[in-house]
Amino acid sequence: MRRVMVIDAGRCVGCEACVIACKTENAVPEGEYRDWVVQETTGEMPSLELFIQSQRCNHCTDAPCVTNCPTGASHYRGDGTVQVDRDACTGCKACIASCPYDARFVHPEGFVDKCTLCVHRLDRGEDTACQTVCPTSAIEVGDLDDPTSAVSIQLRRAKVSVVSPEAGTHPNVFYLR
Amino acid sequence: MTPNTEIETTRSALLAAHERFWGWEIPVYLFVGGLVAGLLLTASAVVLGLGKERVTRAMKIGLAASPVLLGLGMGTLFLDLTYKAHVLRFYGALRVSAPMSLGSWVLLLVFPLQVMLVLALPFEELAKILDRVPRLAVVRRFAEAQVKKLAWGGLGLGVALGIYTGVLLSTTVAHPLWSSGALGFLFLASGTSTGVAALMMGERDPAMARTLARADMALIGVELLVITMWLIGLLTQGAIYRQAAALVLSGPYAPAFLGFVVFGGLLLPLGLEGLALRGKALHSRAVPALVISGGLILRFVLVYAGQDVEFVTG
Repeated sequence: MRRVMVIDAGRCVGCEACVIACKTENAVPEGEYRDWVVQETTGEMPSLELFIQSQRCNHCTDAPCVTNCPTGASHYRGDGTVQVDRDACTGCKACIASCPYDARFVHPEGFVDKCTLCVHRLDRGEDTACQTVCPTSAIEVGDLDDPTSAVSIQLRRAKVSVVSPEAGTHPNVFYLR
Repeated sequence: MTPNTEIETTRSALLAAHERFWGWEIPVYLFVGGLVAGLLLTASAVVLGLGKERVTRAMKIGLAASPVLLGLGMGTLFLDLTYKAHVLRFYGALRVSAPMSLGSWVLLLVFPLQVMLVLALPFEELAKILDRVPRLAVVRRFAEAQVKKLAWGGLGLGVALGIYTGVLLSTTVAHPLWSSGALGFLFLASGTSTGVAALMMGERDPAMARTLARADMALIGVELLVITMWLIGLLTQGAIYRQAAALVLSGPYAPAFLGFVVFGGLLLPLGLEGLALRGKALHSRAVPALVISGGLILRFVLVYAGQDVEFVTG
């Protein structure tokens, strides 16, 4: 199984419901975010193009946070997602220094925290919190190893991009443009 | 016409207000680690190259102080941890891919090696204390018999400790200023140089003082070469790398880097040591003090400036 997230940037309106849902579902501390919205405006007036992205940990296939973690706290789960084992984390911040997406932060309790892709919900057969509340159904999570899954079909049919591909981390959060 | 791009994010203001993830503790640790590596490398090199009889009192004191210094350095690392109760997790795993994990184990090996080297070398002041503990006599005899093997171990672990402090930064792919393999060699040369400089401050044997001064000049030369290579590497890559290099060449860190590291910590002591060796100036403790302070400032500049430029701005 290889869990990935596909976000249809054409549908996203930047309402930030995903941000609020994530903070509520995961009790994300005040001042910190596991996901956030980036609005990229390109061009010259009057020919402007707006590209809205709901960003988070990219659960990279070649994650430098996993490579550089000295204790193995940052690790790949069987479904391909990148997770942090709180019991093994020392708070050394090597993973924060390594993440090209600035997706991690230090939780007030001391461990490093980030998006888990709501695996606790996925394991129960539910959708992620951000996916559940998205009013335009722009977010889809599924198994890329299953050719019949919605994400596999989307990625086959449409033109997709990832954030900072030059970092070479092979992100697993894809954006349909 | 080149299209303009404007990026807005829901978290930019909060991120901008954040403090650096690595504060003063990390540069202090990197400095102390390099200094200890330098002290270990110098003493080991003298044992192997000139014989253990040529290890001077200053070197023995430096070697005896090393475990204390390293302990203080590890103390600053501990202060940096945000989950201090989990500090022993470092020794629950050996992860070859993670420099911080390898470094943790190197530190653990350096301690006993330093102690054994101190025991192996004739050190009158220490002998008076050690003689009160008869059980240590067996360990001392063993250490004395293995002094060359211990010195080879000192060379290996000294190089590993010195290089690792730079590799720790260079393996983080998120920060372009650190994205260079040159940093490992820069930190090794700089750490060895500060170790040699610390010994110069206490060296009373004129012949050894000259040898140390020559060694320090060579190490400063290597540092200047590696710094040049590192900067050329940054300046010849993409815009984000040039932006990172600009931080230390013309940006807010330029006065500290160019003034206190390159000029005050390298070029000035290089010139003064050269003059002193030719008999045109007196050997002064101010010169090694400049090298040591330059080494400390170098680490502060690199650790702080490196966190100021990232690949992703969202």
